Amino acid sequence: MIERTEPTRISPAGLVDGAVRIAPVAVFVVPFGLAFGAAATQVGLGAGQATLMSAVVWAGASQFAALDFWTHPLTLLPLLLAVFAVNARHLLLGAALYPWMRPLPAWQRYASASLISDANWAMAMAAYEKGERDLGLLVSSGLMMWLAWVGGTALGAGLGAALATPERFGLDALMLTFFACVLVDMGRREDIARPWSAAALAALTAVWLLPPNWHILAGGIAGGLVGAFAHDR
Amino acid sequence: MIADSVALAAIAGMSAVTYVSRIGGLWLMAFVPLTDRVARALKALSGSVLIALVVPATLQGDAAMRFAVVASVCAMAATGRTIPSMLLGVAVAAGHRHLA
Repeated sequence: MIERTEPTRISPAGLVDGAVRIAPVAVFVVPFGLAFGAAATQVGLGAGQATLMSAVVWAGASQFAALDFWTHPLTLLPLLLAVFAVNARHLLLGAALYPWMRPLPAWQRYASASLISDANWAMAMAAYEKGERDLGLLVSSGLMMWLAWVGGTALGAGLGAALATPERFGLDALMLTFFACVLVDMGRREDIARPWSAAALAALTAVWLLPPNWHILAGGIAGGLVGAFAHDR
Repeated sequence: MIADSVALAAIAGMSAVTYVSRIGGLWLMAFVPLTDRVARALKALSGSVLIALVVPATLQGDAAMRFAVVASVCAMAATGRTIPSMLLGVAVAAGHRHLA
Protein backbone atom coordinates (compact mmCIF):
# COMPACT_ATOMS: atom_id res chain seq x y z
CA MET A 1 0.00 0.00 0.00
CA ILE A 2 1.28 3.45 -0.89
CA GLU A 3 1.59 5.72 2.16
CA ARG A 4 0.94 9.33 1.26
CA THR A 5 1.97 12.06 3.63
CA GLU A 6 -0.83 14.53 3.01
CA PRO A 7 -1.74 16.40 6.19
CA THR A 8 -5.12 15.95 7.85
CA ARG A 9 -7.44 18.76 6.81
CA ILE A 10 -11.08 19.71 6.38
CA SER A 11 -11.49 21.38 2.98
CA PRO A 12 -14.53 22.62 1.04
CA ALA A 13 -13.71 20.12 -1.70
CA GLY A 14 -13.69 17.30 0.85
CA LEU A 15 -17.01 18.46 2.27
CA VAL A 16 -18.63 18.42 -1.17
CA ASP A 17 -17.07 15.05 -1.96
CA GLY A 18 -18.37 13.47 1.27
CA ALA A 19 -21.91 14.75 0.75
CA VAL A 20 -22.01 13.53 -2.84
CA ARG A 21 -20.56 10.11 -2.04
CA ILE A 22 -22.93 9.35 0.85
CA ALA A 23 -26.04 10.78 -0.82
CA PRO A 24 -27.17 7.47 -2.39
CA VAL A 25 -26.97 5.83 1.05
CA ALA A 26 -28.51 8.75 2.92
CA VAL A 27 -31.54 8.79 0.61
CA PHE A 28 -32.42 5.32 1.81
CA VAL A 29 -32.13 6.35 5.45
CA VAL A 30 -35.29 8.43 4.99
CA PRO A 31 -37.60 5.36 4.97
CA PHE A 32 -36.03 4.21 8.23
CA GLY A 33 -36.60 7.65 9.68
CA LEU A 34 -40.20 7.36 8.53
CA ALA A 35 -40.51 3.97 10.20
CA PHE A 36 -39.01 5.29 13.42
CA GLY A 37 -41.22 8.37 13.45
CA ALA A 38 -44.30 6.23 12.96
CA ALA A 39 -43.27 3.69 15.59
CA ALA A 40 -42.43 6.45 18.06
CA THR A 41 -45.83 8.08 17.79
CA GLN A 42 -47.45 4.67 18.28
CA VAL A 43 -45.85 4.27 21.72
CA GLY A 44 -46.93 7.77 22.69
CA LEU A 45 -44.13 10.15 21.76
CA GLY A 46 -45.28 13.41 20.27
CA ALA A 47 -44.15 14.20 16.74
CA GLY A 48 -41.95 16.97 18.14
CA GLN A 49 -40.44 14.64 20.75
CA ALA A 50 -39.70 11.95 18.18
CA THR A 51 -38.03 14.46 15.89
CA LEU A 52 -36.08 15.97 18.77
CA MET A 53 -34.89 12.50 19.77
CA SER A 54 -33.65 11.79 16.24
CA ALA A 55 -31.94 15.17 16.11
CA VAL A 56 -30.03 14.92 19.39
CA VAL A 57 -29.52 11.14 19.67
CA TRP A 58 -29.19 10.18 15.98
CA ALA A 59 -28.54 6.48 16.45
CA GLY A 60 -31.35 4.48 14.89
CA ALA A 61 -30.94 1.07 16.47
CA SER A 62 -30.73 2.53 19.98
CA GLN A 63 -33.76 4.73 19.36
CA PHE A 64 -35.86 1.76 18.28
CA ALA A 65 -34.62 -0.06 21.39
CA ALA A 66 -35.61 2.93 23.52
CA LEU A 67 -39.22 2.67 22.37
CA ASP A 68 -39.50 -0.61 24.30
CA PHE A 69 -38.92 1.42 27.46
CA TRP A 70 -41.54 4.03 26.60
CA THR A 71 -44.16 2.78 29.03
CA HIS A 72 -45.51 4.37 32.15
CA PRO A 73 -43.56 4.73 34.43
CA LEU A 74 -40.48 5.30 32.30
CA THR A 75 -37.45 3.78 34.04
CA LEU A 76 -34.54 6.00 33.14
CA LEU A 77 -31.53 3.94 34.19
CA PRO A 78 -32.40 0.72 32.30
CA LEU A 79 -33.26 2.85 29.28
CA LEU A 80 -29.90 4.63 29.31
CA LEU A 81 -28.01 1.38 29.89
CA ALA A 82 -29.73 -0.18 26.88
CA VAL A 83 -28.95 2.87 24.75
CA PHE A 84 -25.32 2.73 25.79
CA ALA A 85 -25.12 -1.00 25.09
CA VAL A 86 -26.43 -0.54 21.56
CA ASN A 87 -24.14 2.44 20.94
CA ALA A 88 -20.97 1.17 22.63
CA ARG A 89 -19.63 0.18 19.19
CA HIS A 90 -19.16 3.92 18.57
CA LEU A 91 -16.22 3.77 21.01
CA LEU A 92 -14.34 1.64 18.49
CA LEU A 93 -15.34 3.81 15.54
CA GLY A 94 -13.93 6.85 17.33
CA ALA A 95 -10.75 5.04 18.35
CA ALA A 96 -10.16 3.97 14.74
CA LEU A 97 -10.44 7.61 13.68
CA TYR A 98 -7.81 8.76 16.19
CA PRO A 99 -4.71 8.55 13.96
CA TRP A 100 -6.54 10.54 11.29
CA MET A 101 -7.94 13.17 13.65
CA ARG A 102 -4.88 13.50 15.87
CA PRO A 103 -3.36 16.53 14.11
CA LEU A 104 -6.57 18.56 14.51
CA PRO A 105 -7.33 20.93 17.41
CA ALA A 106 -9.41 19.22 20.13
CA TRP A 107 -12.61 21.11 19.36
CA GLN A 108 -12.48 20.05 15.72
CA ARG A 109 -11.85 16.45 16.75
CA TYR A 110 -14.82 16.30 19.10
CA ALA A 111 -17.08 18.25 16.77
CA SER A 112 -16.23 15.89 13.91
CA ALA A 113 -16.71 12.88 16.16
CA SER A 114 -20.26 13.96 16.91
CA LEU A 115 -20.96 13.26 13.22
CA ILE A 116 -19.91 9.61 13.38
CA SER A 117 -22.49 7.10 12.25
CA ASP A 118 -21.82 3.60 10.97
CA ALA A 119 -22.26 4.23 7.27
CA ASN A 120 -20.37 7.49 6.85
CA TRP A 121 -17.64 6.24 9.18
CA ALA A 122 -17.25 3.09 7.07
CA MET A 123 -17.08 5.14 3.88
CA ALA A 124 -14.54 7.53 5.39
CA MET A 125 -12.33 4.77 6.81
CA ALA A 126 -12.25 2.98 3.45
CA ALA A 127 -11.08 6.26 1.89
CA TYR A 128 -8.53 6.80 4.69
CA GLU A 129 -7.04 3.38 4.04
CA LYS A 130 -6.50 4.44 0.44
CA GLY A 131 -4.57 7.51 1.55
CA GLU A 132 -7.37 10.09 1.76
CA ARG A 133 -6.75 12.61 4.57
CA ASP A 134 -9.58 15.11 4.10
CA LEU A 135 -11.89 14.79 7.12
CA GLY A 136 -14.50 16.88 5.31
CA LEU A 137 -15.46 13.48 3.89
CA LEU A 138 -16.63 12.31 7.33
CA VAL A 139 -18.16 15.62 8.42
CA SER A 140 -20.42 16.31 5.45
CA SER A 141 -21.43 12.68 4.99
CA GLY A 142 -22.38 12.64 8.68
CA LEU A 143 -24.49 15.75 8.19
CA MET A 144 -26.26 14.14 5.23
CA MET A 145 -27.02 11.00 7.23
CA TRP A 146 -28.28 13.16 10.11
CA LEU A 147 -30.52 15.25 7.84
CA ALA A 148 -32.01 12.13 6.26
CA TRP A 149 -32.67 10.55 9.65
CA VAL A 150 -34.18 13.66 11.23
CA GLY A 151 -36.19 14.57 8.14
CA GLY A 152 -37.50 11.03 7.81
CA THR A 153 -38.48 10.95 11.47
CA ALA A 154 -40.35 14.26 11.26
CA LEU A 155 -42.22 13.03 8.21
CA GLY A 156 -43.03 9.63 9.70
CA ALA A 157 -44.15 11.10 13.01
CA GLY A 158 -46.36 13.54 11.16
CA LEU A 159 -47.87 11.03 8.73
CA GLY A 160 -48.27 8.09 11.09
CA ALA A 161 -47.94 4.39 10.42
CA ALA A 162 -49.21 4.17 6.83
CA LEU A 163 -45.93 3.65 5.02
CA ALA A 164 -43.71 2.16 7.71
CA THR A 165 -42.55 -1.06 6.05
CA PRO A 166 -39.01 -0.65 4.66
CA GLU A 167 -38.59 -4.47 4.78
CA ARG A 168 -41.07 -4.97 1.94
CA PHE A 169 -38.65 -3.19 -0.37
CA GLY A 170 -35.61 -5.02 0.92
CA LEU A 171 -34.37 -1.82 2.54
CA ASP A 172 -33.48 -3.59 5.78
CA ALA A 173 -30.68 -5.18 3.75
CA LEU A 174 -29.35 -1.76 2.74
CA MET A 175 -26.87 -1.10 5.55
CA LEU A 176 -25.70 -4.68 5.63
CA THR A 177 -25.02 -4.77 1.89
CA PHE A 178 -23.31 -1.37 2.09
CA PHE A 179 -21.00 -2.57 4.87
CA ALA A 180 -20.34 -5.80 2.97
CA CYS A 181 -19.30 -3.76 -0.08
CA VAL A 182 -17.01 -1.57 2.04
CA LEU A 183 -15.46 -4.77 3.42
CA VAL A 184 -14.79 -6.08 -0.09
CA ASP A 185 -13.15 -2.73 -0.83
CA MET A 186 -11.02 -2.89 2.34
CA GLY A 187 -10.31 -6.58 1.73
CA ARG A 188 -7.97 -5.81 -1.13
CA ARG A 189 -5.32 -5.26 1.56
CA GLU A 190 -3.21 -8.28 2.37
CA ASP A 191 -2.89 -8.13 6.14
CA ILE A 192 -6.55 -8.59 6.98
CA ALA A 193 -7.08 -12.37 6.94
CA ARG A 194 -6.09 -13.01 10.54
CA PRO A 195 -7.73 -10.01 12.24
CA TRP A 196 -10.94 -10.48 10.27
CA SER A 197 -11.14 -14.19 11.07
CA ALA A 198 -10.63 -13.35 14.73
CA ALA A 199 -13.30 -10.66 14.53
CA ALA A 200 -15.83 -13.00 12.94
CA LEU A 201 -15.11 -15.76 15.44
CA ALA A 202 -15.28 -13.45 18.45
CA ALA A 203 -18.46 -11.77 17.23
CA LEU A 204 -20.22 -15.07 16.62
CA THR A 205 -19.08 -16.42 19.99
CA ALA A 206 -20.31 -13.24 21.67
CA VAL A 207 -23.69 -13.60 19.99
CA TRP A 208 -24.11 -16.89 21.87
CA LEU A 209 -22.42 -15.99 25.15
CA LEU A 210 -22.96 -12.30 25.82
CA PRO A 211 -26.14 -10.24 26.19
CA PRO A 212 -27.41 -8.69 22.93
CA ASN A 213 -25.45 -5.86 21.25
CA TRP A 214 -21.99 -6.58 22.68
CA HIS A 215 -20.82 -8.76 19.80
CA ILE A 216 -19.69 -5.82 17.64
CA LEU A 217 -17.47 -4.58 20.45
CA ALA A 218 -16.14 -8.10 21.06
CA GLY A 219 -15.38 -8.68 17.39
CA GLY A 220 -13.76 -5.30 16.89
CA ILE A 221 -11.51 -5.66 19.93
CA ALA A 222 -10.52 -9.21 18.98
CA GLY A 223 -9.65 -8.12 15.44
CA GLY A 224 -7.68 -5.13 16.72
CA LEU A 225 -5.68 -7.27 19.15
CA VAL A 226 -4.84 -9.84 16.49
CA GLY A 227 -3.88 -7.00 14.14
CA ALA A 228 -1.55 -5.60 16.80
CA PHE A 229 0.23 -8.86 17.49
CA ALA A 230 -0.03 -10.79 14.23
CA HIS A 231 3.29 -9.47 12.90
CA ASP A 232 5.24 -10.86 15.85
CA ARG A 233 4.91 -14.48 14.86
CA MET B 1 -48.84 8.68 28.69
CA ILE B 2 -45.39 9.88 29.74
CA ALA B 3 -45.15 13.40 31.15
CA ASP B 4 -43.35 15.80 28.84
CA SER B 5 -40.71 16.57 31.47
CA VAL B 6 -39.91 12.86 31.88
CA ALA B 7 -39.78 12.33 28.12
CA LEU B 8 -37.46 15.29 27.66
CA ALA B 9 -35.21 14.09 30.48
CA ALA B 10 -35.03 10.66 28.85
CA ILE B 11 -34.20 12.15 25.45
CA ALA B 12 -31.53 14.38 27.01
CA GLY B 13 -30.04 11.37 28.81
CA MET B 14 -30.04 9.29 25.63
CA SER B 15 -28.35 12.14 23.79
CA ALA B 16 -25.64 12.46 26.45
CA VAL B 17 -24.97 8.71 26.59
CA THR B 18 -24.77 8.50 22.80
CA TYR B 19 -22.48 11.52 22.52
CA VAL B 20 -20.15 9.99 25.11
CA SER B 21 -20.06 6.82 23.00
CA ARG B 22 -19.20 8.87 19.90
CA ILE B 23 -16.32 10.84 21.46
CA GLY B 24 -15.25 8.33 24.14
CA GLY B 25 -12.99 6.16 21.99
CA LEU B 26 -11.31 9.17 20.43
CA TRP B 27 -10.83 10.77 23.85
CA LEU B 28 -9.37 7.61 25.39
CA MET B 29 -6.87 7.18 22.57
CA ALA B 30 -5.31 10.53 23.43
CA PHE B 31 -3.93 8.84 26.58
CA VAL B 32 -2.48 5.86 24.70
CA PRO B 33 0.97 6.33 23.14
CA LEU B 34 0.58 5.73 19.40
CA THR B 35 3.21 3.02 19.08
CA ASP B 36 3.51 0.82 15.99
CA ARG B 37 1.59 -1.86 17.79
CA VAL B 38 -1.28 0.46 18.68
CA ALA B 39 -1.28 1.82 15.13
CA ARG B 40 -1.57 -1.73 13.78
CA ALA B 41 -4.44 -2.46 16.17
CA LEU B 42 -6.31 0.64 15.03
CA LYS B 43 -5.60 -0.24 11.40
CA ALA B 44 -7.15 -3.67 11.90
CA LEU B 45 -10.04 -2.19 13.87
CA SER B 46 -12.17 -0.71 11.07
CA GLY B 47 -12.53 -3.88 9.07
CA SER B 48 -12.94 -5.95 12.22
CA VAL B 49 -15.84 -3.81 13.46
CA LEU B 50 -17.55 -4.16 10.09
CA ILE B 51 -16.94 -7.92 10.05
CA ALA B 52 -18.47 -8.14 13.53
CA LEU B 53 -21.47 -6.20 12.23
CA VAL B 54 -21.95 -8.06 8.96
CA VAL B 55 -21.17 -11.71 9.69
CA PRO B 56 -23.61 -12.39 12.58
CA ALA B 57 -26.34 -10.21 11.04
CA THR B 58 -26.05 -12.08 7.74
CA LEU B 59 -26.07 -15.51 9.34
CA GLN B 60 -29.01 -14.60 11.59
CA GLY B 61 -30.94 -12.85 8.82
CA ASP B 62 -33.58 -14.48 6.68
CA ALA B 63 -32.82 -16.02 3.29
CA ALA B 64 -33.54 -12.71 1.54
CA MET B 65 -30.90 -11.01 3.69
CA ARG B 66 -28.31 -13.70 3.03
CA PHE B 67 -28.88 -13.66 -0.74
CA ALA B 68 -28.70 -9.87 -0.66
CA VAL B 69 -25.28 -9.86 1.04
CA VAL B 70 -23.90 -12.59 -1.23
CA ALA B 71 -25.14 -10.73 -4.32
CA SER B 72 -23.59 -7.42 -3.31
CA VAL B 73 -20.30 -9.01 -2.28
CA CYS B 74 -20.06 -10.72 -5.69
CA ALA B 75 -21.03 -7.54 -7.53
CA MET B 76 -18.54 -5.48 -5.53
CA ALA B 77 -15.75 -7.99 -6.12
CA ALA B 78 -16.49 -7.92 -9.86
CA THR B 79 -17.09 -4.20 -10.39
CA GLY B 80 -15.57 -2.37 -7.40
CA ARG B 81 -18.53 0.01 -7.40
CA THR B 82 -20.07 0.31 -3.95
CA ILE B 83 -23.46 1.94 -4.55
CA PRO B 84 -24.63 -0.18 -7.52
CA SER B 85 -23.48 -3.32 -5.71
CA MET B 86 -25.34 -2.26 -2.57
CA LEU B 87 -28.51 -1.53 -4.54
CA LEU B 88 -28.30 -4.88 -6.33
CA GLY B 89 -28.35 -6.54 -2.89
CA VAL B 90 -31.41 -4.53 -1.88
CA ALA B 91 -33.15 -5.49 -5.13
CA VAL B 92 -32.33 -9.16 -4.51
CA ALA B 93 -33.79 -8.94 -0.99
CA ALA B 94 -36.94 -7.21 -2.26
CA GLY B 95 -37.32 -9.71 -5.11
CA HIS B 96 -36.86 -12.67 -2.79
CA ARG B 97 -39.48 -11.35 -0.37
CA HIS B 98 -42.00 -10.79 -3.16
CA LEU B 99 -41.53 -14.24 -4.66
CA ALA B 100 -41.10 -16.26 -1.47
